[in-house]
Amino acid sequence: MASTNVSTLEHPPAVKRKASPILAYLLIAPPVIIMAGLIFWPAIQAVIETLVLTNAKTGALSFSLQNYISFFRDPILLENLWFTLEITFAVVVVLFLVGFPLAIYLRFSKSWIAAVVQVLALFPLFVPGVILAFAIIRFLGTHGMLDTLLRMLGSTSFYTPYLHPSGIIIALVWDNIPFTVLVLTAGLRQVEDSVIESARDVGANEFQVFFRIILPLVTRAVIIVFCLNVIGVFGSFTLPYLIGPAQPMMMGVSMQQTYNGYKDHIGALTQAVITFIFCASVGVLYVRTVSRPH
Amino acid sequence: MPQTRTTLPYIKRLLKAIRREGFGVIMMVALFIIIIGPMLSVILWAFAEQWRYPALVPTKWGFLYWAQTLARADIKSALPLSIGLATVVTTLSAVFCLPAAYAFARLDFPGRKTLLLSFLSTNAFPRFGLYISIAIIFFKLGLVGTIPGIILIQIVNTLLLMIWIPTSAFQGVDHALEEAALDVGASSIRVFVQITLPLVFPALGAAILLTFVSTFYEAQGALIIGIPNITTMPVLMYSIINSQVIVQYGAVISLILWLPSLVLLIFAQRFLRGGAISAGFGV
Repeated sequence: MASTNVSTLEHPPAVKRKASPILAYLLIAPPVIIMAGLIFWPAIQAVIETLVLTNAKTGALSFSLQNYISFFRDPILLENLWFTLEITFAVVVVLFLVGFPLAIYLRFSKSWIAAVVQVLALFPLFVPGVILAFAIIRFLGTHGMLDTLLRMLGSTSFYTPYLHPSGIIIALVWDNIPFTVLVLTAGLRQVEDSVIESARDVGANEFQVFFRIILPLVTRAVIIVFCLNVIGVFGSFTLPYLIGPAQPMMMGVSMQQTYNGYKDHIGALTQAVITFIFCASVGVLYVRTVSRPH
Repeated sequence: MPQTRTTLPYIKRLLKAIRREGFGVIMMVALFIIIIGPMLSVILWAFAEQWRYPALVPTKWGFLYWAQTLARADIKSALPLSIGLATVVTTLSAVFCLPAAYAFARLDFPGRKTLLLSFLSTNAFPRFGLYISIAIIFFKLGLVGTIPGIILIQIVNTLLLMIWIPTSAFQGVDHALEEAALDVGASSIRVFVQITLPLVFPALGAAILLTFVSTFYEAQGALIIGIPNITTMPVLMYSIINSQVIVQYGAVISLILWLPSLVLLIFAQRFLRGGAISAGFGV
């Protein structure tokens, strides 16, 4: 699958020589216009609108950082931003800790156990966010199934992660495991068995095989997983909104509250631009990685 | 039980494999509890008429809440709305994107690579921030709280799937087949319909099914744009979860809502093998 995509981008397509570029541009115009109008334009517009102040009396426009100064002076919003960064960090680390061993196992084992593990690891792909939130509350909530199970085993010290930061982390990890495992496994498939076996033949141990052979070959997959997990978690809303605490909240929840609750459009927009800027740093890395041939 | 590969015939490697499967068994049990556990409790709740703590399973089983839930007015309006929206969005997306995918795969033009890449780069926008930005533009345009507004915001999420999967499918068609047909005198339209289309059909089907299901479950855009007039099924779930009225309502709605995903699950083996899902991430 990896080669399909690289060739999609890299190799010149089988050209129909008679066709003029105009036909091609007409065919691609609709999705390009939608992308420009509904993704790039709103993002640019958000940046412009938060940087330009309109004078109420004269209607004159002036450049101002006022919206951003207010954001960084608001202790609650700052706490939300920090909280989002902490959750993002925790989720991405846990995803790698869980995803990497799983992907390596799935790549190298061909037993029926591996087949079952793969089905389980990919299962969350087929559970949409709202259902997941409900399921996690029922499973991990007070008097939920886990609570009951632990009580049967004699433990009474169950603290539910529901409405706690740990609940968000659990839910977001649950939700992102399939993507992490899929991409890492796809990357690992490019590592030939023969390469690993010849390394073992010359006496490399498991650690050397992993760090010297496997890791350099899957760097691309690792970077893609890292970037998209960071962006995905940073921009998440449904799970932190339904499972997380009321305060602090993640940026998505904070924006929604500012937009819907306080009807403060410019404030919500400022928060949106701040998430764009944070995600842009990894976004650039992502775009550079996918545009580079292997 | 642990199958060692024939290329690893030595005892030392056999032991290593058993150790690996030991890891596999632990992962299998852990994943089973963590992944299946939450879904199992939803299923049990949906068929519980009474479930008193600390019983592990419902204390009284039955379909009582199915009738009650299905009679709710909000579901009667949200379910057809969600199905209708997903159908319209998927159709529009296919009409807009499939010809473009053909052009990306088969025609050469300046800017082709950059434009194709820019679709991939939309992955780099944090979703919710983008929705807020779109909502504020839609607010000025009077599209907030309208069906066209929701259709537009939901199309955004479908572009990547509908462009990348079909593009690589069109590219995978062997040119020699088409040229052979042209050589024996078939018209180019006939070649497209009888040769090209059947070859790309599975991938196009996958793209359309994935788009339909993901749009059906799209909750965030619909929440931001739909408020306060329009409630789709996933948006209804937000209020059901937050208000915590009767647990069984949420459980029954979850199961009903889950149906399209189960259909997808049946076809899933194919997509995953073909790499359709990870295709959209540039792996």
